[in-house]
Amino acid sequence: MSQSALKPPAADEGSSWSALADPRAPLADVMAAVEAAEADIPKLAARVAISAGSTVDLLSLYLRRHAALAGSHIEVSQGGFDDPLGDAERFAAAGVDCLLLAPSLETLAPAFEAKATALPDEAIAAVERALIGRWRLALEKAAAVRSVFLCSLHRISEPVAGGDRLDVVVERLNAALREEAAAFANVRWIDMGGVIATVGRRAAFDTRFHLRNAAPYSPALLDEWARQVTAVSRAWGTRFHKALVLDCDNTLWGGVLGEDLASGIKLSPHDYPGNVFHRAQTEFLALQRQGVLLCLASKNEPADVDAMFEKHPEMVLTKADVIVSEVNWADKVESLRRIATTLNIGLDSLVFVDDSDFECEAVRSQLPEVTVFQVPARASDYPAVIARIKDLFLAGGASTDRAGKTEQYRQRAEAIADQGRFASQEEYLASLGLTVTLARNDAARVARISELSQKSNQFNLTTVRYGPAELERLMADPDAAVWALDVADKFGAAGLTGVVVMRFAGDVATVESFFMSCRVLGRGVEVSIWPAVLADAAARGCRTLSARYLPTAKNAQAADFYDRLGLPLISEADGARNYAAAIADFSPPPSPWITVQHD
Amino acid sequence: MIDETKLKQVMATVLTVPPDAIGPDASRDTLKVWDSLKHMNLVLALEQAFGVEIPDEDAAEITSYALVKVVLQELVEA
Repeated sequence: MSQSALKPPAADEGSSWSALADPRAPLADVMAAVEAAEADIPKLAARVAISAGSTVDLLSLYLRRHAALAGSHIEVSQGGFDDPLGDAERFAAAGVDCLLLAPSLETLAPAFEAKATALPDEAIAAVERALIGRWRLALEKAAAVRSVFLCSLHRISEPVAGGDRLDVVVERLNAALREEAAAFANVRWIDMGGVIATVGRRAAFDTRFHLRNAAPYSPALLDEWARQVTAVSRAWGTRFHKALVLDCDNTLWGGVLGEDLASGIKLSPHDYPGNVFHRAQTEFLALQRQGVLLCLASKNEPADVDAMFEKHPEMVLTKADVIVSEVNWADKVESLRRIATTLNIGLDSLVFVDDSDFECEAVRSQLPEVTVFQVPARASDYPAVIARIKDLFLAGGASTDRAGKTEQYRQRAEAIADQGRFASQEEYLASLGLTVTLARNDAARVARISELSQKSNQFNLTTVRYGPAELERLMADPDAAVWALDVADKFGAAGLTGVVVMRFAGDVATVESFFMSCRVLGRGVEVSIWPAVLADAAARGCRTLSARYLPTAKNAQAADFYDRLGLPLISEADGARNYAAAIADFSPPPSPWITVQHD
Repeated sequence: MIDETKLKQVMATVLTVPPDAIGPDASRDTLKVWDSLKHMNLVLALEQAFGVEIPDEDAAEITSYALVKVVLQELVEA
């Protein structure tokens, strides 16, 4: 992770923090720095286990390092040598959150790497069958683990110029393994080829320990491997960035608009440094197309920036790509706060990019939740920073219905603008033509439901995070129901916007979880769904409804939700509130402006 | 001369023992935690801390504080 993305060190941890972040820090210093950093982060973010076909002892250290750099504390255990089945079973039973599986080419058959070129096709096919059989079983045993990272096979020997048969064999085995992994919703693929290429093949391996201890990897490779896994895991589920807030001068274009004027701005795709900024805009646009919300925070004359966006022939981004624009002379800290409020997202969902030391430092110190990247002084260093920014948003894959997000947020903003024309709130809501569609135990939505459970913080009654495997289990469980709710109105479909998880025991139906995306709050959707959910519970023989609110640092806005719904409060302790009511006597406030459909 | 305080500190950190456990007699025989995994990490950590490359034949041999010191001394002076 680049230095610029880091929070500043506290006064007393200067030297150990620098060893934590410096890729060239000596190993012993990194060990000491990780220990020191973890002591400052009491809460454990995840329990991670490694099962590998080679010795990767130091991978634990580097995983902990990159977690600590992202502000998370993780615990890492190592499994046996080349024992994916035993490890998967043991770690799943121990309840680890994440499992990293790293198969090795060398364990497929003795000296496989050396022999593969000479083996007949049938022998290769037999190796492939054995590999698939074994790993399918391992993945099945790991199905209960929230996230599994399966690393690709790779060669350790020097490649032959132009490629050789070993390359073909490795590619074939990886394709088979990857196809196997695709059947499991909790499995992510880690491409070791990319990890090795980033470090450089010559620096990636240490032949001394490879032959003596079956430990082929250099510390540099293990460090980069850990960095990529941490990125794909979104810092072990602690990060979910949504918006990219960009400065304008020397960030979107070269030069200062107020001084150089539009004619002096460097943005030509054909000359340096204009081409660096032209590419930067192209990359930001690609992020926008994949669902990232682009915002501006620039100290400039709004009219100048508007003219630049509308008239400059070399601009890639248009005003339509920008969802919130804070172009003014206000403090950037204020601007960032306003952006978070307008979009109704947390400050920790923002990534801020600026070229100025002053602005970056001001944001780092006053809004430590915001991830900050500084545009380097030398334009040729900028692409590397953009690569890190992309990593933050895209690592681990963006799920498909995130792509239309800017459109949905825009619809919300337009809907807010429309609000003035109606005599009453209810009249306005009625004009929206709101439709809520409830789907029970819809297995096709598992990935999206899990994603929403990971990132919903504000309107989340109990803040339970669900992994895909867990959701599949709940959907199959006759004593549970997972309701997915989709909202549409005349402006468009908002996609999956809320989830209710019910548990049934005897005649009691308990709301284990209820969370919604904040995009649709304030329209009565959160109230409208209960008759359908309760009718289903009553049909199963339930007579009592039980629900609770558990406070977190972020969900205060949902604290009185069940009160507003009309449920009687039974008990309250440390902010946690328990509610119960007889289903037959309970009727939530009506929301006649909403049509509820369900299966 | 090798900075012995630094050497002790590196060894203590990698072997996860208090610095005063690394006396002149410390070796794989006296320190139970000094297993083959820790040994590998120790070689890598010593290389990075002292900016040297420990040759393959020495890497397996430096199994005591005294031997580590001798080998590092030679490498630093070479």
